[in-house]
Amino acid sequence: MTQDAFSKYHPAINILFFVGAIGSCVMIQHPAYLLAGVLTSGMYYLLLHGRSGWKMIGALVPLFLFLAAINPLFNTRGETVLFWILGRPYTLEALLYGVSVASVFVVMMLWLGCYNKVLTGDKFTCLFGNLIPSLSLLLVMVFRLVPNLIRKTRQISGARKAIGKGAGSGASLKNKLTAGMTVLGVLTSWALEGSVVTGDSMRARGYGTARRSSFTIYRMTAADWGMLCILLILLGTVIGFAIGGSMTATFVPKRSIAPIGGTNLLGFAAYCGYLLIPSALHIKETIRWNISKYRI
Amino acid sequence: MEHIKIQDLSFSYSTSNGKQSLQDVSLSIKKGEYVVLCGRSGSGKTTLLRHLKPPLTPHGKKSGKICFNGTLLENVSAHDQAAKIGYVMQDPDDQIVTDKVWHELAFGLESLGCDQKTMRARVAEMACYFGIQDWFHRDVAHLSGGQKQLLNLASVMAMQPEVLILDEPTAQLDPIAASDFLNTVRKINTELGTTVIITEHRLEDVFPYADRAVVMDGGRVIADGVPRSIGKLLYEQKNPMFSAMPTPVRVFYGTGSVGECPLTVREGRTWLSASLPEPPAIVEKPSTNTDEDLSQVALSLRDVWFRYEKKAPDVLRGVNAQVPTGSLYAIVGGNGVGKSTMLKAICGICRPYRGKIKVFGKAINKYKSADLFRVCIAMLPQDPKSLLSQKTVAEELAEMTSDKARIAEIAEICRITELLESHPYDLSGGEQQRAALAKVLLTEPKLLLLDEPTKGMDSFFKESFANILTQLKARGITVVMVSHDVEFCARYADLVSMFFDGQVLTTDAPKRFFGNNSFYTTAANRMSRHLFRNAVTAEDIVELYKQNKGADQ
Repeated sequence: MTQDAFSKYHPAINILFFVGAIGSCVMIQHPAYLLAGVLTSGMYYLLLHGRSGWKMIGALVPLFLFLAAINPLFNTRGETVLFWILGRPYTLEALLYGVSVASVFVVMMLWLGCYNKVLTGDKFTCLFGNLIPSLSLLLVMVFRLVPNLIRKTRQISGARKAIGKGAGSGASLKNKLTAGMTVLGVLTSWALEGSVVTGDSMRARGYGTARRSSFTIYRMTAADWGMLCILLILLGTVIGFAIGGSMTATFVPKRSIAPIGGTNLLGFAAYCGYLLIPSALHIKETIRWNISKYRI
Repeated sequence: MEHIKIQDLSFSYSTSNGKQSLQDVSLSIKKGEYVVLCGRSGSGKTTLLRHLKPPLTPHGKKSGKICFNGTLLENVSAHDQAAKIGYVMQDPDDQIVTDKVWHELAFGLESLGCDQKTMRARVAEMACYFGIQDWFHRDVAHLSGGQKQLLNLASVMAMQPEVLILDEPTAQLDPIAASDFLNTVRKINTELGTTVIITEHRLEDVFPYADRAVVMDGGRVIADGVPRSIGKLLYEQKNPMFSAMPTPVRVFYGTGSVGECPLTVREGRTWLSASLPEPPAIVEKPSTNTDEDLSQVALSLRDVWFRYEKKAPDVLRGVNAQVPTGSLYAIVGGNGVGKSTMLKAICGICRPYRGKIKVFGKAINKYKSADLFRVCIAMLPQDPKSLLSQKTVAEELAEMTSDKARIAEIAEICRITELLESHPYDLSGGEQQRAALAKVLLTEPKLLLLDEPTKGMDSFFKESFANILTQLKARGITVVMVSHDVEFCARYADLVSMFFDGQVLTTDAPKRFFGNNSFYTTAANRMSRHLFRNAVTAEDIVELYKQNKGADQ
């Protein structure tokens, strides 16, 4: 369990946030907004993953540079030619466009990294369990099956090795293949046998006697509803301004970027506010925790 | 009114060519009764239990009727039978459907279409009652066998059944987890008044608390009464089931006593004290020094250290052991202390990072793997299914060698000759174990490693298994076995070692080993230690008792 404040909200709130954050970063290519996206997602990612998060950041930097630099090689449109390469112009506009595409990519990777940490498997099945109970049950059973099979495979190959039927290190490819096939065969019949028992156990507990309901340990509390309102208001504002055209930016063939200022500033503020929510909650809780510890 | 009434139930499987698995079974079970159903493997216990739960009832020819609360079981609605008749099976792992503990608890309620509020309350209730709170959020994969079985019980109890049917629920558990589980079942019975019908091999833990014992043999009910009377009945009938009775019962009738039979160790102690002077004239059997040559070492481990992952804690922490050639060497100890890992290290599945393992005087890493496993070491794994890979038992054996005469010989030793044409998965657990053992023996090992061989065996099969081991020893095969089964080790092993905290602590002959322990010892020793020294089996007590009585006269 992470000690992250945002993770403690209802899974529906979690997923709404990530859909909003990832969706808007794909739709809006305005440099200021992208910069806000990079900073907020990076911050939340580091808050969630701690020191090990820097590894991911370190891997994303060269990827970002590569993606940004490669775009002008394919896209030669643009007014300002920086230099010529392989007989083709390398333009500033195309480079800027590359930077924006690369930023979208980086922001997406970071948000998805956070998503993985926040929305664990059981939260996911809880969300979709209500919509499609049988599918969610199937998913849950698969989650259980896979590690089970891996464990049994290890057991079988160990057992076969101990009667001299395993493929040792010096075995030929053919021997290894036959040994592998036998293990697979044992595994299949063993798993089938097990699934008969599982089936019995399901029917003994009334599977198929009534329409299944779905149990979750998550509940929408007042705080969840409050957070839902905040998210929807901020997201609504951002969408409103986006439709109003205050976030458009095109790079090729001609740079045209909507200025941020005046009323447009409100849209930008709403966007930053939206993206900062998880980090802010995390920081707020850390501070509050430290204060209460200090008071003791 | 009877809760469950079975009238003249007969049944034969459609594949059995008319052989009846149940014959004219009539039983009536009252509300709140705790009934233990005993009998050897294949006596029809499971078939009978499955008839009480409609979705699990096997297909075949059936006559007679079963009533539940006065209604024919066929006419009980699907919802009612699902909720009111709870059924727990043997395998802790395969019964679990979902991946999280909390989800598994709610599975039955979900199937019945309960609403969130009810489910929330029931799941909370169950988690508290069964002490599951601490692992409520865990993945099922990370639970121990005992926890898994407790979870299976709790998720059945969440549906608030009136009857709880348990089919050998502790067969796969270690003794401590098993007695925990059985205590919980008893608690359910006494505190909630749930009717309990249980089949069980560990009668020592069940017999004293059951209201009734029903003994089955060959598909018939051969005895039905209060547990105290059952021992007498079986003794008088000279029924082989008598050997499965709790130790105090066996001692009581073995000494030819009459009167009220003791059922628990405490009652057994009181009875022994009352019937013998304290101290008795003869306190110890003359030690029969077996003149076996124990100087030749088949296997030696010196300061062996092992861990599974670099950062994981050490599982073996300097194991030292010497196994004499031609002996049956048993290693006992709690769950997860590294006993099985030690066997894996011996046969090279795990490679220790420090220390030496020598087999017949040669370090195992000096052997070529082909030589090591042919005519040298072989291991019978805990789960025999991991060795069964063919379509018939005969093919299983043919996989190991093409020598027909040897196959016939080994099949005879393991008593699977008549099973050779069957599919391995059609065999019972004990038969699968024998088939796997035969397969292992065909590698002609001089050192045989057994991992929990008696798990899930009934008392008769244990005896014939012990005979097989004796035959192997007579052929000069050294046997090393890891076991929880204290009673089995006390009776048949030559040397017993205690494994604890990654080390072999003490090693001794079983009589002295168990005689010196006061908790980790056999029921017979606990019952007689205030009078006799080193009496570790029921036979020991009976013999000493008779000698003392003889000396009196």
